[in-house]
Amino acid sequence: MQLTMKSRQLNKGRHTALRKLPILIGMLILFFFFLLPIVRLIVMSFTSGENISFGAYSEVLKESVTWKTLWNTIYIVLGSTVLSMILGITMAAIMAYTDVRGKAVMQLFIYLPFIIPSYITTLAWVQFFSSSGPLGGLPDWLIPNLYSVGGIIFVLGISHYPLVYLMSVQVFRRIPRDAELAAFVSGASRFTCWRKVTLPMALPGICSGGLLAFLSNLDNFGVPAFLGIPANIRVLSTYIYEQVIGYGPSAFSRAAVLSVLLGIVAVAATLVQVWLLRRSKVTETTVPDNEPRIQLPSSKRRILQTVLWIFLLGTSLVPFLAMGTVSLVQAYGIDLTWENFSLGNYRYLLFEDEKVIRSLGNSLLLGLITAIVCLIFGTLFAYYRSHKQGKLPKVLEAIITMPYALPGTVLALCIILMWMQPLPGWYPGVYGTPAILLIAYITRFFVLQFRGSYTAFSQLDVRMEEAARTNGANLFTRWRQILLPLILPGVLSGALLVFLTSLTELTVSSMLWSSGAETVGVIIFSFEQAGYSTYSTAFSSLIVLAILFGGIAYLIVQRKWRRRGRKA
Amino acid sequence: MITLQGLKKHYGKTAALSQVDLTIQEGEFLAILGPSGCGKTTLLRLMAGFMKPTAGTIRFGDTEVANSKHSNKPENRNIGMVFQSFALWPHMTVEEHIRFALKNHRFSQKRTAEEQAARVTEVLQLVGMEPFRKRYPAALSGGQQQRVALARAIAPEPDILLMDEPLSALDAELRISMRKEIKQIHKKLGATIIYVTHDQGEALAMADRVLVMQHGQIEQVDTPETIYQSPETPFVATFVGKANLVEGTWNGSHFTPAGTQLSWLDNGVSEQLKQKQLFPVRPEEWQLLPAEADGLKGEVIISQFQGTERHYVIRTDGQDYQVSLPIADPAWHEGELVRLQVRRRKTQYATEEVLLELR
Repeated sequence: MQLTMKSRQLNKGRHTALRKLPILIGMLILFFFFLLPIVRLIVMSFTSGENISFGAYSEVLKESVTWKTLWNTIYIVLGSTVLSMILGITMAAIMAYTDVRGKAVMQLFIYLPFIIPSYITTLAWVQFFSSSGPLGGLPDWLIPNLYSVGGIIFVLGISHYPLVYLMSVQVFRRIPRDAELAAFVSGASRFTCWRKVTLPMALPGICSGGLLAFLSNLDNFGVPAFLGIPANIRVLSTYIYEQVIGYGPSAFSRAAVLSVLLGIVAVAATLVQVWLLRRSKVTETTVPDNEPRIQLPSSKRRILQTVLWIFLLGTSLVPFLAMGTVSLVQAYGIDLTWENFSLGNYRYLLFEDEKVIRSLGNSLLLGLITAIVCLIFGTLFAYYRSHKQGKLPKVLEAIITMPYALPGTVLALCIILMWMQPLPGWYPGVYGTPAILLIAYITRFFVLQFRGSYTAFSQLDVRMEEAARTNGANLFTRWRQILLPLILPGVLSGALLVFLTSLTELTVSSMLWSSGAETVGVIIFSFEQAGYSTYSTAFSSLIVLAILFGGIAYLIVQRKWRRRGRKA
Repeated sequence: MITLQGLKKHYGKTAALSQVDLTIQEGEFLAILGPSGCGKTTLLRLMAGFMKPTAGTIRFGDTEVANSKHSNKPENRNIGMVFQSFALWPHMTVEEHIRFALKNHRFSQKRTAEEQAARVTEVLQLVGMEPFRKRYPAALSGGQQQRVALARAIAPEPDILLMDEPLSALDAELRISMRKEIKQIHKKLGATIIYVTHDQGEALAMADRVLVMQHGQIEQVDTPETIYQSPETPFVATFVGKANLVEGTWNGSHFTPAGTQLSWLDNGVSEQLKQKQLFPVRPEEWQLLPAEADGLKGEVIISQFQGTERHYVIRTDGQDYQVSLPIADPAWHEGELVRLQVRRRKTQYATEEVLLELR
């Protein structure tokens, strides 16, 4: 065979500066959208009138309300985090190590309170404990009052324990069985083994889950807004909201000060969480071991299973049934019987109140656009991040994480301050229109899509793309034929998460909405504040049903996809 | 012909590859051998075009494909590549893999649909994967996956075939049989093969020439026989031949091991080893003699039965030597005192030596 050693002439090569241009533009956009708003907030907190000053800080820190709010925040966040951790770790240990049956179904029920927005969960619990709820027959002093610090802690703890569960169960399953067996062989009892081997190895992962719950509790607006505001219990997130909504001459700089305080705590906790996560990576290389390690005697196992089911149904199904029941009666406070049964609330929502229809349309459209924008750019950024070495991609990742790490109320204020006048002399007029909601959603949820896509890319062997290159495939062919088919499931589940989260968003929306630009969360919130419990519960029930249908459809599609001859 | 000139690759401050000059002939099977981190994969990836050299040039024939400023993309080089992890695409069937290569490779001859289908069958038959053409990678064994990866690389008939440890993910027995198959495919195709491995057995068995690397530098490039029998550097001697390096002093063509009065004759030891006052002895070159005989005094520390041979560790003055003797020889036991001598190489009797013996 005659060998020619032909290869194309060396590219003359475009200008290096020209080739770097897209990266440069991308960086500018990232700085503008993700970093500048935060800078504007910090600047605002040090501004009084035209001057730089600490005036706002000293004013805010002098007030006793601030300190009361801070203490409330600390009690509530710590209390609910402890509750989340106890529930999450216990569940994780049981699911990872014992041989209880029906784990797959139990798992779904564990995730449920996590998928459903916390303000809807709050409504459900309120109805559960109301006098017309399933516990209505009990004497009043036995029914806890949810409109209290304890009530807020309870609902937050229940809503966020799945986070701790998720992180811990992964870690527990990855602890090598041999490490435990080695402890037993060395004469350790099960308790000693748990204390000296399992727990220390799992600790970074568990703590990281705990911090995630901590952050979610700190960030949460829905629960303290629904339960705290009526009872005059303020936490930082609701206090900032009240400042901004209440206007007043120094509202923005006061809110900025509070936001900086809250933001510092959140960012610090995020950094610790990232650091812990990196430490727990030691166990990440080991394959998860899903086989049960503790064989319970069947009687004990049955008791445990019953307890678990009571807990799971009690926390994830019954409150929502209670909520659904309320939505089906003619007037709030009467029992559901055949005579009282009515679909009137639903008819009102869907056909009579145009605000409701409009909010549904708004939220769907906002969610869809947010998901598509994030899908495209988040995936491109994930590709860039997974293919480029060096510090810059990591710094950029940190920047896009910031708006998500900050509590929603803080971000909302950042967005207001930024977009009233993004650059000196430029008034785009987005404040007070749906556009600002869109900008806020994209800024906040971009990182969710990025994480989904990045995970998909990192599970891909880079050699697969390289093999396509050595076979002459250009960038377009590689994306279309190799990368996209392989990353699509991961990318789409990221997009679904973005869509669902934006669809039911409350925190940011409650501060940025304007008449004509209401969202689902805002409408439910305003119904509840105005005392229309039958409407708020009916609307919430609709949303829960929609989420469930969406989730089931997604699971089915995903399963079909997996069958297409790929590695599971 | 591939020509590498003054090739260097730095990652930040660390040099992965320093100053590589090499010419690879058309149709040659070159094995690049070295321990992990020696720069062999960097060298291969430079030739593939996945990275740009820090300095130096790469030419394919008369075309310069890479220098420190520009580097042709892999898709614009006439190459095929087989990866250690196989890098099969989980969403494509076996025949789709081959078709992808035929369709996209820019130097593959233009084919009609029928010709393409015929070529797919032909290539799959060559690697013995024709019966599995409709399968997905997940339904194939490791060896079968490797064959698909190989078929995908050779289907477009590239001039150069780059292989990055293609057998190291397979089990020992399969590795041996795949060696033969790759060798046969090389004969049939006539393409230049550059084969990276850390397994000296693989390199010696398959290659026309072996390039041994360490710390980003070429130690020696030679035929397998020369690499094995006449290593030029201490590293090649120990890494390829597993040689024991005996310390002592060279005196012309005679070597005196340290602390003895012995005199060993030069059996083709390289200048570099001589300068370092070393004498390389491969395990099978030793002779064990009774304690009364002449030689290095030692004690048997370990004696292991290995089937076709017996392995010993002999401890002399502060030095442990590896010895490997045919099973037919009488066995020595742990704790016995012995004398070590170097077996004379029958093929390399220097006339001088013969004369010495006659005298």
